[in-house]
Amino acid sequence: MIPVLRTVPLFEGLTFRDLKKIELIVHERTFMPDEVVFYERQPGTGMYVVKKGLIQLTKTINEENVKIAELGEGEFFGEMSLLEGYPRSAQATAVIKTEALGIFRPDLFDLIERNPRLGSKILMKLSQRLASRLRKTTEMKLKEVV
Amino acid sequence: MERNEFQKVWKAFEIIAIGCVLLGILLVLYLIRGLLTPFIIAFVVTFFLNPVVDYMEGEGINRTFAVLLLIILTLIFLFILWKLTWPTIQTEISSFQKNAPFYESKIREGLNHAMELLEKKTVFIPEGVLQRAMQHKINDLTSTMGDVGSLFQIVRGFVVTFVLIQVIAFFLLKDGRRIKKVLIAYVPNKYFETFLTLLHEIDQQISNYIRGQFTDALIIGVLAIIGLYLFGIRYAISIGAIAGIANIVPYIGPLLGMTFGALLMFIDTGSIMDVFKVVGVLAFVKSLDSIAISPLVVGRSVNVHPLMIIIVISLGGLLHGVWGMLLSVPLYCSMRVSLRILYRGFVEYGNW
Repeated sequence: MIPVLRTVPLFEGLTFRDLKKIELIVHERTFMPDEVVFYERQPGTGMYVVKKGLIQLTKTINEENVKIAELGEGEFFGEMSLLEGYPRSAQATAVIKTEALGIFRPDLFDLIERNPRLGSKILMKLSQRLASRLRKTTEMKLKEVV
Repeated sequence: MERNEFQKVWKAFEIIAIGCVLLGILLVLYLIRGLLTPFIIAFVVTFFLNPVVDYMEGEGINRTFAVLLLIILTLIFLFILWKLTWPTIQTEISSFQKNAPFYESKIREGLNHAMELLEKKTVFIPEGVLQRAMQHKINDLTSTMGDVGSLFQIVRGFVVTFVLIQVIAFFLLKDGRRIKKVLIAYVPNKYFETFLTLLHEIDQQISNYIRGQFTDALIIGVLAIIGLYLFGIRYAISIGAIAGIANIVPYIGPLLGMTFGALLMFIDTGSIMDVFKVVGVLAFVKSLDSIAISPLVVGRSVNVHPLMIIIVISLGGLLHGVWGMLLSVPLYCSMRVSLRILYRGFVEYGNW
């Protein structure tokens, strides 16, 4: 599991010992073709990393299911839910048989409490990722206005 | 339409299946309840020591080494405590054993007199009915209480159980997270996130409650023993220890501890002054606890209305005696948090 965790940007730069600690809070899940990982509006608890397979993200717009992304090996989704339990903004469905690694908020918060040094590294990476996403959204909106 | 009907039937089947699995687990636990005591105590020990192990691990100490070190330190502490207090406890038990027939006759005499008076004042109760019923109850009580020598056997049996508890606690502290991970791996994907949140919330509720109540009980027990000892009460350690243990049960426990101490003093010495001393010390310790200790140690660990706690404890006691009283509050809290999360997940967000 460690090689897969190494590919996740959130865990970039972490030592093998740190990754071993994270491994303890990672849950391996297997999804069958067309199986829903989570529904849109469902309260989110955590993020998933695609280990093997394909995941499709869809969103209901004007009562229609619109495909917004397809994620393959090493890609991850649902990371916003690691910070708060708001409803999911999209639905995630397995396109083919997919193996994913789930990391969930209660476990992550426990890890942060137990190991603040490691916790701060993960939170810093998560904040950087969210900041970059916010910057991109702002730039897009600005372009629309201009 | 047909697909919808099929989905509805399938969901109903799923609910029934989950219910059956839960009932099955409860049934198995009920059938092996005799073997559960060391496990329950080991769980309590684990909840109590886990934050210390977590802290040590956070400081960079290997978890296995931290658990071993903590268990060895606990054993050394208990051994020193045992060496210091056992002679006094032994004297108290021997004294109680020697005086048991005297206490029994005194209780019998006092209650007989009370029943006789009651029968005389109440015309509709035939003479002797209450006295015979009371005699029957006292005989039951003395057959349980009379064999005080068995206390030594209980202590000996406890040593064996004690070793078992240490072994279980060691593995729970060391591999608790791994065991939890393996167990929840079998939960279907659909319910996994809800189940994980549920488990976490229940764990928080129970560990907060256990840590708070046990620390509080320990402090109360030590303070009561010191207070009673300073007032020269004969069974200071026993009464203080029972008052501390009773305190684990909120609201009702302290009253039971106080009643036990007062009754024992009244039967032993017959002196109202001694009874006042015991009640005074225990009431003072309880007040000190309510004002200064409990808010710090227990805090708002469960956040349940006092009236609800009393109802829940009474129900627990009615259904399962002492264990029922001890476990009723954490069980109630777990059920409350489960219903809240299930309602949020399945009803509010329409994923049912």
